[in-house]
Amino acid sequence: MTKNEIFPKMSEAIVAGDRDAARSLAEDAVRSGLDLLEVIEQGYLPGIQKVGDLWERGEYFLPELISSAEAMKAAMAVLDPELNRKGVGTRMSGKVVIGTIEGDIHDIGKNLVASMLQAGGFEVFDLGADVKLDRFIDKAEEVGAGMICLSALLTTTMMNQRRFITLLRDRGLRDKYKVLVGGAPASRKWAEEIGADGYAENAVAAVKLARSLAGRP
Amino acid sequence: MTPSLLDLVKTRTVLFDGALGTELMARGLGPGVPPELWNIERPDAVKEVHAAYFKAGSDVVSTNSFGGTSLKLAAHGLEGRAFELNRAAARLAREAAPAGRYVAGSMGPTGKFLKPQGPATEPELVAAYAEQARGLAEGGVDLFIIETQYDLREALAGLKGAQSVSSLPVFVTLTFSAFPRGHFTIMGDPAARSAAALESAGAAAVGANCNLTSEQMVGCVGAIRAAVSLPVIAQANAGQPVVLADGTIGYSQTLEDYVRFVPEIVSAGAGFVGGCCGTNPATIRAMARAIRGEEKA
Repeated sequence: MTKNEIFPKMSEAIVAGDRDAARSLAEDAVRSGLDLLEVIEQGYLPGIQKVGDLWERGEYFLPELISSAEAMKAAMAVLDPELNRKGVGTRMSGKVVIGTIEGDIHDIGKNLVASMLQAGGFEVFDLGADVKLDRFIDKAEEVGAGMICLSALLTTTMMNQRRFITLLRDRGLRDKYKVLVGGAPASRKWAEEIGADGYAENAVAAVKLARSLAGRP
Repeated sequence: MTPSLLDLVKTRTVLFDGALGTELMARGLGPGVPPELWNIERPDAVKEVHAAYFKAGSDVVSTNSFGGTSLKLAAHGLEGRAFELNRAAARLAREAAPAGRYVAGSMGPTGKFLKPQGPATEPELVAAYAEQARGLAEGGVDLFIIETQYDLREALAGLKGAQSVSSLPVFVTLTFSAFPRGHFTIMGDPAARSAAALESAGAAAVGANCNLTSEQMVGCVGAIRAAVSLPVIAQANAGQPVVLADGTIGYSQTLEDYVRFVPEIVSAGAGFVGGCCGTNPATIRAMARAIRGEEKA
């Protein structure tokens, strides 16, 4: 198959949440010797973009979003090892450390953002829920991440997002990382007020934001 | 003799309470502490909040057990204490209730997704809700309220769990978002069809809570009202949380703006009304004036 034939099929597989199709198209791409970065950027990611649009319009809901993210993971499970083998590097967009902040056990939204970031081309290190502030930084330092994402569902634990920025500053690392905040009580205004680098309202918006902060289209 | 809540709602609009967690926080509940633990450790604080809502005019208060399924308590290592914490929650609300008022046993989501989106199975959820309902019934609730549900399948599992251990009425609220096409849960369950499914499964009242503002709630209640013959319950948020100029947290709807739409929620068909996030005893006091004033007129 030529690129013009296969790329739309890849996008469709993601929109349909069809893991098997997403995987076998990735295998075809490897066998045909296509440029795999192009395959991701022009084949699969437009599918994620479409899913995002459908989500924002209220046509797609969480089950569809999760299926699409799973289909994307299935494709990446084929493409990642190939890219590694060729020394191109796993993820084009960079590494992200994510977790629900200290004192907060709510992780549904965070899990979704983690899945979508992964689907959107990031290598994601998910620390889970109730994550101590220092652990975010230690992990980011350890893996060489460029971005740290902090989730909080409660108005009380949201305050820890502010404390995190202060901690990052105290450790002399503020400029080293992009910090994104999310969760029901967070807002763009809140992100600005505490000096975070960005806020996204939902998982789809989070991918757009992270990609733009990482300098990706 | 006190009439049953379902008889009472045939004669007038019945008022639930408002937010509980934020009232406990105002009394010192710290982040990371499950509110249910206060049923044992700070019973006076919990009772004080219930009493404040009754004083403000609530006919019904909901117990401090929203996160009280063993599946939710497990995040705090408290899964073994589900029965005890729920029974204590019910007793406290019962003790705070003046004669002729009611206690609803609150049951919130487990936080676990059902397969295929998550690891949970229907029997696990049924069992968790059944255990919680046993504790609440033992502590003396008049009804159960399975609330803030975002997956119709979990709501139905909760209903089944409660029905398996008790014959008390079960109210169910789902949490919807408003889209141009209508009102849907995050799982995509439409308001009307969800309400109809819950009615068929034997719920005593169905409705919506959380997320929607009181203004948005009007349309949602209308959609549910048209789909069922049961009483409808509505507990809107006072909008969304916002950071105020002084750095504290508030909600986007002012008290006046919130209460302004309460008569419309009632006209749209809600027999039971109450508040959710961002509401407090002052909100309930104003709601009581709004709905009782209207009935006299």
